[in-house]
Amino acid sequence: MDTYVIVRRSGWNTGAEFAESAARSTVEGDRMPDDIAWLRSYVLEERDGRVGTICIYRASSPEAIRRHAGEAVLPVDEIVKVVDTVIVRPDSVPANA
Amino acid sequence: MGVTKTATEATPTSALLERERELAVLREALRAVATGAGGRIVLIAGEAGVGKTALVEALCAERLATVRVLWGRCDSLFTPRPLGAILDVAVATGGALERSTRGRVTPHDVTSSLIADLESEPTILVLEDLHWADEATLDVVSLLGRRIERLPTLVLGTYRDDELARQHPLRRVLGELTVRRDVSRLAITPLSQAAVTQLAEPHGTDPGLLYDLTRGNPFFVTEVLQSPDDAIPPTVRDAVLARAARLEPAAQQLLDVIAVTQPKAEMWLLEAESAAAQIDAALVSGMLESTTSAVWFRHELARLAVEQSIAPGRARDLHRRALERLATPPSGDPDLARLAHHAEAAADGAAVLRFAPAAAERASSVGAHREAAAQYARALRFATDLGPADRASLLSRHSFECYLTAQDVPALASIAEALACYRGLGSNAGIGATLRWQALALLNWGRAAEAVVSAREAVSVLERLPPGHELAMAYGALASLATLDYDLEAGIAWAARSIALAVEIESAEAQVAALGMLGLAESLQGSPQGQAHLEEALALAHAHDLESQVGRTYVLLGMAASRGAALAHMRGYVEPALAFCEQRDLDVWTDALLAMRGWLELEEGNWDACAGTVTQVLARDCILSSTQSRVVLGTLRARRGDPDPWTPLAQADDVATRSGQLWWTSQVASAKAEAAWLQADSETVAVATDAVFARAVELRAPWPMAELAWWRVQGSAHAAELPDDLATPFAAQLRGDWRGAAEEWARAGFPYGVALALAQSEDETDLRRALEISHGLGARPLATLVAQRLRRLGVRDVPRGPRASTRENPAQLTSRELEVLALVADGLRNAEIAHQLVVSKRTVDHHVSSILRKLGVRTRGEAVSTSRQLGLVEDR
Repeated sequence: MDTYVIVRRSGWNTGAEFAESAARSTVEGDRMPDDIAWLRSYVLEERDGRVGTICIYRASSPEAIRRHAGEAVLPVDEIVKVVDTVIVRPDSVPANA
Repeated sequence: MGVTKTATEATPTSALLERERELAVLREALRAVATGAGGRIVLIAGEAGVGKTALVEALCAERLATVRVLWGRCDSLFTPRPLGAILDVAVATGGALERSTRGRVTPHDVTSSLIADLESEPTILVLEDLHWADEATLDVVSLLGRRIERLPTLVLGTYRDDELARQHPLRRVLGELTVRRDVSRLAITPLSQAAVTQLAEPHGTDPGLLYDLTRGNPFFVTEVLQSPDDAIPPTVRDAVLARAARLEPAAQQLLDVIAVTQPKAEMWLLEAESAAAQIDAALVSGMLESTTSAVWFRHELARLAVEQSIAPGRARDLHRRALERLATPPSGDPDLARLAHHAEAAADGAAVLRFAPAAAERASSVGAHREAAAQYARALRFATDLGPADRASLLSRHSFECYLTAQDVPALASIAEALACYRGLGSNAGIGATLRWQALALLNWGRAAEAVVSAREAVSVLERLPPGHELAMAYGALASLATLDYDLEAGIAWAARSIALAVEIESAEAQVAALGMLGLAESLQGSPQGQAHLEEALALAHAHDLESQVGRTYVLLGMAASRGAALAHMRGYVEPALAFCEQRDLDVWTDALLAMRGWLELEEGNWDACAGTVTQVLARDCILSSTQSRVVLGTLRARRGDPDPWTPLAQADDVATRSGQLWWTSQVASAKAEAAWLQADSETVAVATDAVFARAVELRAPWPMAELAWWRVQGSAHAAELPDDLATPFAAQLRGDWRGAAEEWARAGFPYGVALALAQSEDETDLRRALEISHGLGARPLATLVAQRLRRLGVRDVPRGPRASTRENPAQLTSRELEVLALVADGLRNAEIAHQLVVSKRTVDHHVSSILRKLGVRTRGEAVSTSRQLGLVEDR
């Protein structure tokens, strides 16, 4: 499994819509545990007032990411492979924690 | 305890810990089956002892009153019994299913009977330990998967996912099944530290230590907790053995017998060994399970612990006694696979040579070729004293089973050894036939240079004998080798020679093989009679019932269509051919046709399906088909702008380079050039194509020459003057005839080709159309490139890609699905929709089922009314 960044710009009209997607994403991800593991997402405030995300996944291939996105009905703008991780400080506390 | 589950164990039981979610999934699947919503398959994965069986038993215990439960388990013989699990089920059902498993049977016959039986009442069909399943059982599972939606059946398959090697045959079946909506996977994880603590509490055991020792494996936890000592045993194995040691010596010895007798120790066998009282004593140990007819270990881990603790001398003795008794069962025929297993474990060479080849033949006859290969290999381990003729025959049969199961190293080793035997005997017939067979095997594994050497020697040896079938086949092998290298004149000449001989000696097989290759060679030259010869070969193969040749000829037809003017006809060959080959277990040709389907899906713009098909082919691990699929995968990634197009292309390049054949090298070089061009890397475009292009020009190979020249021009590399009568879409593009090329791609139903051709135009309308198609496909790099060209032309409102369009409607339909839905609402049939949208009917089928799923409806009519309510399509 490699780590990938998945860019989904302006994918949702509202945060509530994104929350629905997140639930679908979890359900579909559980159906393919050998191929997909959702690590975390950064939810973006887009200039057009909508909501986008940058998602970090571990996946068996780019095709597995697209299959998961298809099943969970998530937009995909771009998939980029991560070759190394530099962690300087822990992530900020989730907004809804 | 978490996993205790039968009355044979006198310990208090409690509900399963931490299995609520898993049970809920199973209950939901069972509810769907029981309410007639169609069958389901749930594949339950987890390590040994994690509680897969306990979970299934918990579900069955809840529902036993209303649903029939059938239970089959695969066994852990070195080489499993063909159809082992299904035979268990057949014994339970009796009737027609049981009758269908007697004598010589095929997975298809058994599946038909099984399906007929399952149709009769709602059933939970448990297939345990599929990681040990033989190929025939896996074939049944695979066939069952295709029918499951129409059966009132919940299939629960358990397997150890941590013991599947990359080439494990179960992976192929998992790959096929898990793309289906009615199949799901359930991963069973070990218990959490909290659960282990909860279990340890009443025993006063240190939970931290217990968790470290067992890592939450419920079986180990239970075993450790049940050892009477206060202290935790130093190893879990000790826990198992300590439990065994509590038995009386006679019962302990019986436990040894049960441990070596796989998959189950029959009661009659135990009664011959021991008194009934001792059997009862062993049964209350809590490690065993039993029916009135057989006894077996509840947990494989316990069996292994016991088996490995038996001293080698005593183990051999036990196997020898088992062999004697099982050779003369009180009823029915002896099980050859079990006899071969015990013969080997007893180191009884004569018995191995008697039973292993017989077991291999039996396995081969039911399509369990992996098991057949293993049984022949077992026989060969004991064949040192055999005469060279017998040995050579065994080696040949071994190599054939290895060939059918894509095990190249052992297959080629056995062929080489058989060849040495025949040379020692001075048997020219044996030498010639084996060399011819070696050439075919080498060709199929992409080792063309060596294959040519073998085929030439085969011809020179066989020409000294009276002319016959083998010589005609050897000429045919040379025809294949020349044709795949685009030496089409030589290919045609060898094929003609093979046909002439085949007709003379009346060998239909050799005639079909050579006629098909003749047709391919002529088609690659651009001659229309190629198609006629291919169709003649197909008809002849059907007429003579030569199933494997039918499969091969279909593949040749597909190859010819993909590199000729018949692009639009390809889908018409590939789908019926796949149905034909899948039904008859013609794996070699099924693999090749699946790889073709993947290529078609790529070109037809059905990219999600393409990724699925490619994954399926790669799991099947056939060298040349995998190479074709790696080319497709690399190209798919490049066209989507996804990471890592180069890894699959480099792997394909290795095989293509080794084969040296232009058929392969040209495909890989073109794919690399395309990927490099999309990354604006002109240098790689040139480097990847230099040598292969020169070779294509030298051989005057029409399609490769035009395609490679096209990419070289894109990468500003030198492209020699080409003949101007080349009739391929790439040649039209080279001439600057964008619209002519686009029309050809459109006729084939290849939208990416259309966009690529139009992208070269200087005309705004063409470029806008190319952009629109690229956006529709999700072809980001090409869209970016076209958008740049439009801006360079001074166009201001260059459209951006569709953004998050799935958000715009309540049912989350994609824009393509909305388009299809609108046509469904207009009353169009799928074939008409396919025609209108310039895609295949299969693609439309796929969209329509996706629409039904997302709308939660079952018919097209319901889809239309629901979508009108949601405002997705206009009211009329």
